[in-house]
Amino acid sequence: MASTQILVVDDDAVTARFIASLLREHGYDVLIAEDGVHALELVDRHELAMIVCDLVMPYRDGYSVLRAIRQNPKFHDLPVLLLSMRDREEDIVKGLEEGADDYVIKPFNARELLARIRKILNRKRKVS
Amino acid sequence: MQQILVWIIFSISGVFLTLTVLIVANKAWRETQAAKRARRRRELEPKILTWAHGDEKTVRRALDGHPSSSDRAVIEQILLDHIQRVRGIERERMSRAMEQLGFVDTYLEGLESRRWWRRAKSAEKLGLAASKRVVPSLSRVLDDEMPEVRLRAAKALGQLGGVASARKLVRALNEPNRWSTIRVADILIGMGHKSIDVVIEAFAGLTREGQLAVLDIVGRVRPLSATPWLIERAKDESTDIRARACHALGSIGDPNVSDELIAAMDDDEWPVRAMAAKALGRMRVVKAIPNLARALRDQQWWVRHNAARALRDIGPRGLEALEKLVADGDAFAREQAVLMLEEAGHVDERAGELAQEGSAARKSAKLFFESIVATGATGRLRVLSREHPVEEVRRELLALLPEEAAS
Repeated sequence: MASTQILVVDDDAVTARFIASLLREHGYDVLIAEDGVHALELVDRHELAMIVCDLVMPYRDGYSVLRAIRQNPKFHDLPVLLLSMRDREEDIVKGLEEGADDYVIKPFNARELLARIRKILNRKRKVS
Repeated sequence: MQQILVWIIFSISGVFLTLTVLIVANKAWRETQAAKRARRRRELEPKILTWAHGDEKTVRRALDGHPSSSDRAVIEQILLDHIQRVRGIERERMSRAMEQLGFVDTYLEGLESRRWWRRAKSAEKLGLAASKRVVPSLSRVLDDEMPEVRLRAAKALGQLGGVASARKLVRALNEPNRWSTIRVADILIGMGHKSIDVVIEAFAGLTREGQLAVLDIVGRVRPLSATPWLIERAKDESTDIRARACHALGSIGDPNVSDELIAAMDDDEWPVRAMAAKALGRMRVVKAIPNLARALRDQQWWVRHNAARALRDIGPRGLEALEKLVADGDAFAREQAVLMLEEAGHVDERAGELAQEGSAARKSAKLFFESIVATGATGRLRVLSREHPVEEVRRELLALLPEEAAS
């Protein structure tokens, strides 16, 4: 469990710290990126197990990060969970169609978020 | 004389120097305090969050006892920052921490302050602190003399949720001189399903403006359980009430109300017909196609427009009906039908059929485009005759278009 590294991408530092604290509490290694550009740099440099990514961010938004990951053969199967205040049906559908593994609406339920992350990681483990 | 001047210059310089020193010292002190708070935050935040994720009952144990007064300000900010970003158990635990550390009591005292901005701030923080016991105090503040305090108390009640809060807020819908109806309605919408029974119960006692706001709230929250109540409102004697009820029914989208909405298409008042058409489109009611097609000849532009959009939204069968309406005897119906077929991408799609050699589809497409040309609405066809990727399609369209339109 200790080697499972998760990247949290959110321009809201408070949210990023909350999620990081939640994940660290449950034994995951956590990296934090404050925007999409920084996120893609970290994706390139680290062996990540998954990404928890905000949708609305400066420079590159969550959709753009997701697209860049899915188009790169090296990371195209890296699980991505989108986290956003946008709760409209079309935003959720767009996120999932762009290749997100899950979509969670803010404000989120921390334990539900953790359960969804675990489920994605378990599925990934089974597949690999 | 010279001495006096020197003395004045020295005095003024002295005052300026003192002021500069004071400003610099104050700024330095503030920055030191901010740095100190930031450092304490880095130390305290992980402890508070670890406590929030766990199941230890008392937050004081996580903070190693009673926090100092300077730490209290830091802890308060940490809790307020995080509590509004989460739901569920973590939120409940942080709310409990605010109670245990006495912040809720401090905010309740703040509601009694003589300074309006302190009352407003306290009301706002009480909403974030999410303690249910503060509902009566916040309800009292809804009568505050300052509009800003009233509004923040209303928002706080909305955040707290619950029937008691909703009852207090719904009362505000009846006082448009003291409250912005839209703002109160937004707060009630934010409360979701919990507010629905309360607003429906209060409906009869509200002013007309308040009643319309209630119908908007029900339409935005979309509770399936409100459908029978809305059907009754769709028979109200007021045109506005009937129209908004139809709109709300369309938003909820219960397929069992399609007959009521189809009947509303024959209402004497056009706002009701327009809203019924919109609702039928949202619900994609195929059996309403003949009624919607007839509504394209309505006297009122909004009814025609909504009916045409509804046919577009219904899908292939609706588009089929719109195709027939392109050759309708009514000029308005033809105009709306062409517009919607263009918006749906149907005109572009059918243009491709013009290149299918000798097929029935090609013949049918030709007839379709001839009827569009006959309406005179050839804007899209002109674009396609220039930009369609298939040369044969461009050629066929150019041949169909009258010369002045093609140029």
